[in-house]
This record gives sequence, C-alpha cells and structure tokens, in this order.
Amino acid sequence: MIARLVAVAVVLAACAAFAVWWRRREGRMVEADGFFDRRDLGIGVREQPCATVVEFFGEGCAPCVTVEQRLEHIAANVCDLRVIRLDAGERLDLADRYNVRRVPTLFVTDPDLRIRWRASGVPTEEAIVGALLGPEWAGRPNPSLTDAERRTN
Amino acid sequence: MAVRMIDRNGHRWGAAISALGLYLGVIFDARWVAPLFCVVLGIGVAFGLRYSPLGAAYRIAKRTFKLQIPVVPEEEPPPRFAQLMGFVFLLAATIGFYGAGGPAVGWSLTMIVAALQTLLATTGICVGCEVYLIGKRFAARGAA
Repeated sequence: MIARLVAVAVVLAACAAFAVWWRRREGRMVEADGFFDRRDLGIGVREQPCATVVEFFGEGCAPCVTVEQRLEHIAANVCDLRVIRLDAGERLDLADRYNVRRVPTLFVTDPDLRIRWRASGVPTEEAIVGALLGPEWAGRPNPSLTDAERRTN
Repeated sequence: MAVRMIDRNGHRWGAAISALGLYLGVIFDARWVAPLFCVVLGIGVAFGLRYSPLGAAYRIAKRTFKLQIPVVPEEEPPPRFAQLMGFVFLLAATIGFYGAGGPAVGWSLTMIVAALQTLLATTGICVGCEVYLIGKRFAARGAA
C-alpha cells in the first residue's frame, strides 16, 4: 500500500514538474532571426505595413483558435498591423522553410519582414503586443496603441 | 463535411475522473480499473465523444450542482484520437494483468494513462492531441 502511494506521488510530482516546464516554454516569445519572402506571404512590393504577424495554424487545433482571437483583438487596436494565417498542413513547404515544428507557431516581423520574434503555443496578448512594441522598434514606424486610441477618441 | 465539436472543459473533466479512478485502482490494487476504463474510453472512441460515459458524467455533475463552467468548443478528432491512445494503453495493461506480461507491465501502462490524463485535467496539455496533429502533418507530407 505504502509503495503504491509513493508510486502515485512520484507520478503526480513528475506531472507537476512537466507542467511547470511546459508552461514556461509554451507560448513564450523568443527572439528569432531570418526573413520572410514577400511571395510566400502574398505581399506586394509596395505594401509595407508597420508590422506583420504570421501565424501557422492547423486543422482541428483548438489553441490556434485562441491565438486567432487574440490576434484579431490586437489587430483591432494596433494601428496598421497585418495578420497572415497559414495552414501548416496545406503549406508544408513554408512550414519546413520557416522551421515550424508544431502549431500554433507565431512570427512577429518588422516592416521589412525581418523575423524578430517567434513563439510556439499560445502567447498571451501582452506578450504579442510587447513583441510588437519592444525596444527593437526604435527609429521605426511603430504600430502604436496610442494611434488607435487617438483614432477612436 | 463539418467537423463535430465537443466541449473542451468536458474533455478535461472526463480526464480528471478517469485519472482519479486509475490512481485509486493503483493504490488499492484493483486491477479491474484497467479494463473498466478501457471500455469507458472505447465507447467514446467508437461512437464519438458525445456518447462517452465520462462526458455524460461531467454533464450530469454540471447540471446537478449547477456548475457555472463555460462551454469551450473544440474540434473532436484530436481528443478522440487521444482517447484512442488511452484505450490502446489500457487494453495492453489489461492483457498484462490477465494474460501475458504480468502486473508490472499492467501497472506501468495504467500509470502512463493516469499521468497523461492528469496533465490534461490540470493544465490542458493534451499529449494525444499533439500526437494527432503531428501525425496529420506527416501524413500530409507523405501525400504531397
């Protein structure tokens, strides 16, 4: 009986440890490098939104729906933000090219489509906005929450 | 054809019920929990998660105790595959207990299912769903 209780306790402790590790890793925005090809995203040469967020999603992926809702909310508030959603199942070529291992995977780029941040899983809205408005945007035409507020006021 | 939807919270509460049942089975050396939950998971896999006894238990508890838990829609195929994984593991555990393999194999497989159900119930991490999505991508890559 004691041995069985210990076995259950060990399994529960292992689950807790894994959950903590996963939570720390899940949805964390990490700095990344590389460029998106305009043709991959269907963006014209003249188009230059302040920032582009690219989401790779999958069919039947519930967390992808959460990410989509968060992006819609951010796009409604952040001035001149382009959100592009790509089905990783249909665009396997792009998933391979941009090293997408799981869905949802999110990329935040600057106006030149240079990849600045990426996240696997479901980042918080604050994390996405933080990546959009981070210090690396200094000197660039930032997507600005205040612009959106000014427009609505 | 439209994909059938389920309640994600029902899926998680169902996982909590089965994890609790499996842990109690381990503690009290009740080997019959493996075939019992094997059948329970098998019903959901065979007929759809809306017919799963675990989902029914959740709906009854929610209605009886007037629990204010929101419905979070989720496409059915990934969780159904996750339950298929649980079914296969518990079937192997049952064979371990009552056929070839021995109790050590049976309890190990039972504990794996209990651990995965615990993760799903407490954190929402659905390992089976992740395996399903990875498998779909590999299948699509093979077809391309």
